Amino acid sequence: MLKSTHKPIGGSQQLAEGWTEHKAPTGHLYYYNAATKQSTYTRPAAPVDAPTPIAPIGPSQSFLQYQSVGPGFPQGEDRGSRGGFQGNRGGRPGNDRPRPQPTDRPKSRHLIPGFEPWVLVHTKLGRRFVFHTEKQQSYWRIPDKLKDGILQLDQQRIKEKTEALQKTNEPVSTGEAPGAAERPEVHNPDGDDSSEYEEVEVTDDEDDENPTKRQKTFEIPDEPIEYNEDDIAFQLATMGEEYGLDPGEYDDGNMENWEEGAAGLELTEEDAVALFRDLLNDAAINPFSPWEKLVEEGKLVDDTRYTALTSMKARKETWDEWSREKMKAMRYMRAKEEKKDPRIPYLSFLQQNANPKLYWPEFRRKFKKEAVMRDTSMTDKDREKYYREHIKRLALPSSTLKTDLLALLKDQPLSKLNRSSNMDSLPPAVLGDIRFISMDPSTRDGYVEAFITTLNPAPEIVEAEDSEEIIRMKKEKERRQKALNDREAFVREEKRKQQRDLQHGKGVLRYQELELERAMQVNKKGLKGQLVGEGADVMDTG
Amino acid sequence: MPAIRHASKRKPPPAGFSDIEDDLLIFSNKMKDAENAPSTNVPRHQVHWPIFQISHQRSRYVYELYYEKEAISKQLYDYLLKNGYADAMLIAKWKKTGYEKLCCLRCVQTKETNFNSTCVCRVPKAQLKEDQAVECVSCGCRGCASSD
Ligand SMILES: [Zn+2]
Ligand SMILES: [Zn+2]
Repeated sequence: MLKSTHKPIGGSQQLAEGWTEHKAPTGHLYYYNAATKQSTYTRPAAPVDAPTPIAPIGPSQSFLQYQSVGPGFPQGEDRGSRGGFQGNRGGRPGNDRPRPQPTDRPKSRHLIPGFEPWVLVHTKLGRRFVFHTEKQQSYWRIPDKLKDGILQLDQQRIKEKTEALQKTNEPVSTGEAPGAAERPEVHNPDGDDSSEYEEVEVTDDEDDENPTKRQKTFEIPDEPIEYNEDDIAFQLATMGEEYGLDPGEYDDGNMENWEEGAAGLELTEEDAVALFRDLLNDAAINPFSPWEKLVEEGKLVDDTRYTALTSMKARKETWDEWSREKMKAMRYMRAKEEKKDPRIPYLSFLQQNANPKLYWPEFRRKFKKEAVMRDTSMTDKDREKYYREHIKRLALPSSTLKTDLLALLKDQPLSKLNRSSNMDSLPPAVLGDIRFISMDPSTRDGYVEAFITTLNPAPEIVEAEDSEEIIRMKKEKERRQKALNDREAFVREEKRKQQRDLQHGKGVLRYQELELERAMQVNKKGLKGQLVGEGADVMDTG
Repeated sequence: MPAIRHASKRKPPPAGFSDIEDDLLIFSNKMKDAENAPSTNVPRHQVHWPIFQISHQRSRYVYELYYEKEAISKQLYDYLLKNGYADAMLIAKWKKTGYEKLCCLRCVQTKETNFNSTCVCRVPKAQLKEDQAVECVSCGCRGCASSD
């Protein structure tokens, strides 16, 4: 993906929006615009007079920027230890382009009384920024000097809204916008007026479709009068939570807010690792799978234990360790089981080499050097017995063999044979049974696999001999889980508080804005009705 | 392209194959998708990038299972190489100092490049200009020097 991780630092050399810098094989630098798929050797510089083009950007867009600090984006320490492909999974332009975002656009603007070239712009998504019409500059953050003017504007608007609300209670017949005569601003409530959009356009053409991924470097203003960085941060947090990310992964600037409570709980780093391991165990993840698959599937993300570890790097490390141990344990178990029962290797040898044309003495002579034929834990007499029986069974009809095989499988307890079993983890009781080798493996394996899918998942491990250790581990696991749940509850509460504060701050105003919009809609309709009426008059006279 | 499932006629794969069979199948399917993906709207030099990348990922997968995690047997590892589940040549490079992360063989073949040197993606990040974006033409690699 041609997504540059280069972030504009500011200054006159900044690239125009949507463009990324790349190096051609010849060594030349060239520039690519992922949105328009254009490329050029001439550097598309951003207009110098707009050094901080704070274009209206959907909060979700900036979220994607932070999200990209995920597995394998070549950003410092987040880069894994693997080869060079980490950064460009998908490869083609367009493959992992962010999903379509609701694009925000200016909806209305109001001259700020007393600061005339400045305009307050409201966007479709309910945010606002200020715009200097002469300098063609815009800012999310409202400069302090304008605050008085905006406060005045807001008060005025609230007053108008109240009036408008009162008017809408009367029959809408006049079509006259309430207070329109005195209002110093242009108000366009339905937001689809493209000519006005042009006017408030922030910088040049690219900018409105490809707004800057803006760094959040502002201090957060106290005034409750604006929809600003606070709100964006909040939206980021909400979306981050939906994606199962931790605060640290989408918003560094806001960390202190979380740190106080969210980190002040008894969830140690070890706990976090252990929780993630619990999750891997419980989700019955195949330790042989590649880590990338886990990430791509995103199955684990919904589990709160996924976020116990705060970075992708930590998750990958834990995964590496866990899968290593798990695979080792699996191999050890299998080796042990096979060692225990000498029949298993012998029967599998029979399956490959037994031949109805060979009598036992001939067979024994032919393979006398094989390890399975010399294994002292099995007598020759037993070997002969199995050989004869196996040869005899080979003559049976395949339907009988299938029935026998299924009977053998059904005999296995669920703890030994269950849905997570596979051909390499069949219980020794199956592998060491003559019924298992009677059918050709290619046919047999199909039956076994089909049978496994009909089974239930493995039952909970019942405490056995070393039950004390197991009980201790269980208790430990419960404690971890509880600590995590406590933290989650805390975070949720924090979030609720944040939301409440936000709504308290701007709620009244926003509500009234909506009311006003409704009022204006109605009035516009009324106006339209009148215009149509006039048109009809003209027709009549003409 | 290796066969996805071992044909029933052939010798069964070594033990442990079924542990990784599903994931190998996923790689194979991805590879198929990449091979069949429409190449319109894709710059010509980029057409094969996804194929290189999947091939790299799959080789890396096999390599790590055997060399780093010691999770599969020598027998199975050899079987995988023989049946094209991993690129033996590329893995051979990874075992050499300085090539631990090499993206593809093309990027170290000097003859194929325009200026008789290895690909730009082999240049350590430390030697590049600050923020200089690297994306090699042959496979889309963004840098695979060992020091990165
Ligand atoms: Zn490379
Ligand atoms: Zn390459």
